[in-house]
Amino acid sequence: MSTSNLALLITAIIVFIVIIIGFISGSDKSSRESIEQWSIGGRNFGGLLIWFLIGADIYTAYTFLGLTGYAYTLGAPAFFACAYAALAFPIIFYYIPKIWSVAAEFKMTTLADYVRERFDSKFLSGLVALVGILFLIPYIDLQLAGIQNVVKVAGHGTISPTVILIISFLLVGTYTFFSGLRAPAWTALVKDILVWVVMLFLVIYLPIKWFGGWGDFLHVAAEKYPEYMTLPGHGGGHGSFWFSTAAFISAVALFMWPHSSTGALAAKSGESLRKNAIALPFYNILLFFITALGILALLVVPGLKDSNSALLILIQKSLGGVGQGFSFATIMLASLVPASIMVIAASNLLATNIIQDLFAKSMQQKKVTLMARLFVFLIVLLALMFGILFPSSIINLQLQGTSGIVQIFPAVAVSLYWKKMNKVPVTVGLIGGLVMIFLAAPLHLPGYSGFWGILVNIALILILTPFFAGKTASSDNKVVRFLFEN
Amino acid sequence: MNRIFEVILFLIPFIAQLLLLPWVNKADPFVIGLPFFFFWWLLWLLATPFFTLAIYKLRKNRSTRKEQR
Repeated sequence: MSTSNLALLITAIIVFIVIIIGFISGSDKSSRESIEQWSIGGRNFGGLLIWFLIGADIYTAYTFLGLTGYAYTLGAPAFFACAYAALAFPIIFYYIPKIWSVAAEFKMTTLADYVRERFDSKFLSGLVALVGILFLIPYIDLQLAGIQNVVKVAGHGTISPTVILIISFLLVGTYTFFSGLRAPAWTALVKDILVWVVMLFLVIYLPIKWFGGWGDFLHVAAEKYPEYMTLPGHGGGHGSFWFSTAAFISAVALFMWPHSSTGALAAKSGESLRKNAIALPFYNILLFFITALGILALLVVPGLKDSNSALLILIQKSLGGVGQGFSFATIMLASLVPASIMVIAASNLLATNIIQDLFAKSMQQKKVTLMARLFVFLIVLLALMFGILFPSSIINLQLQGTSGIVQIFPAVAVSLYWKKMNKVPVTVGLIGGLVMIFLAAPLHLPGYSGFWGILVNIALILILTPFFAGKTASSDNKVVRFLFEN
Repeated sequence: MNRIFEVILFLIPFIAQLLLLPWVNKADPFVIGLPFFFFWWLLWLLATPFFTLAIYKLRKNRSTRKEQR
């Protein structure tokens, strides 16, 4: 059997086994009955499983293909991902256990649920849900693109693009529809073990194979491509200000993503989340080495048109059939598992916080759950269409989404600490922030657009809040009582 | 005193990774085989969780002392 056929076969077998594990772990009917069961696993996940679940949505196709692709085209600016992955955790250490305790007390399954009860506003929570769904769609597309890239490279261009699209759609759709959150949590375990083994192998072996070791590899790189070693990187567009604002905003945004919060709300206790905020970052070490592999790809396979395939092509050039098979399967699962968690989060938001809350209040819980499960296919389809209509590099999709999602931070996190916040200023701030991120480019503002968005957002809230202070003080709200009267 | 210490522990990783960039943005010297800018990110990926751990311990001490009173 030829090397490439062997690689393709091994990839298919591993992915198939993991999907079967997913079906089995989700086959218990009770796991599909209520939204709480299907979308957050009955709030029953202990520390270790949460570690894998949250780890699953940090280490995605974006990490492997997007970051190596970014380092391949720009160099040093790609390290902003290391900064944000490190800084996200001291921030979530404070507010995630707090929002978890509110959500557990009042049986909430989404951040939008919290906003609805905290501000007594279905409009604001609907808006928060809509922002979540809209900005998740490019992120889901990015995972689908990860699957498609693997199939494309592994198939040596012999598999037609339409077939590749259909494979990615069916894979993510059926897997998610049948199993809910339990499947990705358990398959994340398998995926994560594969990720660690395969990535450690790549990180150690590839520099030795091509250059004799890390030190030699980076000395060669520094000589040949000096502009890739520091900011503003190749092309000169990404200086310190861009780096700081992008890293800071991405750190703040990390747990605003509906899928990350899904993982966090599935925890058994606030304490397990606090411990995870300390333990999860050790996961990040891989991030550094993976980013640097992008530079290695630049030296070994220069001149690629599609930077998102840089790592895949590097693997194809460096390893035999078995090594390729395991690597491709790992990257494919690193797209499939997070994609599934994201799709669950988005369809749950659409079913509960938009359809049920705003249009069908009396709908039975069972029907809402079924509707959420059917929306899985709609969301995957939307993501596919987005990808076809707006093809863009993986990292740009992620950065655009981050600018948008971070705008819900005041409504979700600041409101845990600031009693006087009122729905009107928060809504105005959210809308103002969203408008601002689209104005940043036409106004030629430096740095990262999400940063300017959040400035406008917070400024509007600060200016308007005093006018509504009396109204807030006189209203009685169970969540406000729970938060501030203990 | 305790709280000021907590704030400082919280801020150090942010200052190191967001505000010191102009001073660490250089390829030389190479440290443990890495260009300096690369080394900086590996260093803070490893160091940041220890700051969070210290905050965790600090807060835990504070809450047990509160309960004892």
